[in-house]
Amino acid sequence: MGFLFESFQHAISLILSFDREVFNTVWTSLYTSTVAILLAAAVGVPFGTFLGLGRFAGRRAVLTLLNTLMALPTVVVGLVLFGLFSRQGPLGSWGFLFTPWAMIAGQMVLATPIVANYTVAAVAGADPRIMTTALTLGASRLRAMRQLLLETRFGIIAAIVAGFGRVIAEVGVAMMLGGNIRGYTRTMTTAIALETSKGEFAFGLALGIVLLTVALVVNLFLNLLQQR
Amino acid sequence: MEPILSIHNLEYRRGDFTLTVENQTFLKGRIYCLTGPNGAGKSTLLHLLALLLEPDRGEILFEGTLLKGAAERQRLRQRITLVEQAPFLFDTTVYDNLAFGLRLRDVGSDLQRRRIAKALQTVGLDGFESRRARALSGGEIRRVALARAMVLRPVVLLLDEPTDGLDRRILPLFERCLTALSDEGVTVIVATHDADQPGRLGGDILRLDGGRPASPAGASAPALSNEPTEKSS
Repeated sequence: MGFLFESFQHAISLILSFDREVFNTVWTSLYTSTVAILLAAAVGVPFGTFLGLGRFAGRRAVLTLLNTLMALPTVVVGLVLFGLFSRQGPLGSWGFLFTPWAMIAGQMVLATPIVANYTVAAVAGADPRIMTTALTLGASRLRAMRQLLLETRFGIIAAIVAGFGRVIAEVGVAMMLGGNIRGYTRTMTTAIALETSKGEFAFGLALGIVLLTVALVVNLFLNLLQQR
Repeated sequence: MEPILSIHNLEYRRGDFTLTVENQTFLKGRIYCLTGPNGAGKSTLLHLLALLLEPDRGEILFEGTLLKGAAERQRLRQRITLVEQAPFLFDTTVYDNLAFGLRLRDVGSDLQRRRIAKALQTVGLDGFESRRARALSGGEIRRVALARAMVLRPVVLLLDEPTDGLDRRILPLFERCLTALSDEGVTVIVATHDADQPGRLGGDILRLDGGRPASPAGASAPALSNEPTEKSS
């Protein structure tokens, strides 16, 4: 019990003293996850809107696939992208492996199905009069869709926040594609795994507290949106 | 008066329902009241005239020109406006709701403000610009929706049972707005269940039943013919 208490004290002091190593790691996590989620939103929101509004053959199959992809194991994504980005892989010449960009690519793959699925739910559940009203007021179909997204903005933001929650907490992609390089690709989750195995429990705990705080803020924000 | 919208051999099918209208012309600046029981095809006809639905057969002409292609339909939707039976207001202010269509038409902000203020005054909601649309009552929503359509100065204004459930005290104001628009040259086509409304509006009655033109009450020959009524004072 004494060990846990001392470690917790040490962890808090690391956070409050703005320990450079801790904040470098936090920054890498936030930076890669934010870029990944923005890219996932750029793909997932239009795709989800198309799926939510479209009526075409095979739509149900695409939705089922998307649902399955939501539960993609992070290590599988890491494994596939490792194969693509490794020197012998088809994208090896890009030099992505063990860079933040490889992590961003992997996290984007993880987040896109989540963003798309939540967007489908938001758009399909929206009032059908939104589109009709915009059209009767003279909007083009594209402009009417933009209006639909504006009207369902809380659902869309919730989609993005849920995707962010998934990528900030994942470890498989960051470990396999980033390589856990100190000061470069080390994220909160990979650092926790590494430092704890090295016996630096307090350091891992400090990062764990920050990670939990980020998750808490994300969830509070999500709850706030769902109440609207 | 010149024809603004003409229907020729129109047929629209969905499931068991078929709407068939052989020939009908709507003249500029006139009021038309679509009457008939529920499911007669009034709303479907309005949606076809609003260019939101495409007929399976036949054609709709606007100012004598056949409507072809999505781009032309979208362009003409800027001149034909529909106010739905249960109008939807965007989740923003009343001003932004009214400005939506004006912005699409690149109307400058000064002119926007003037037109919006005038339209709100006409429907008895002056000073409502900054109100949130979601905080309005049902009657206020209908009036804002009418103002939102009026502000666009459409050539044809289509209304789907606009006074259904409206406060009786507001009714005369609402109907005065419609007759004023008609006097300004706007063709107003109103679907209504109110048997007295055509008389009050001085509109031509177009009766539908079972998706087809029907004989006006008391008449023997089936027709979707114009049956002018006396405009009440």
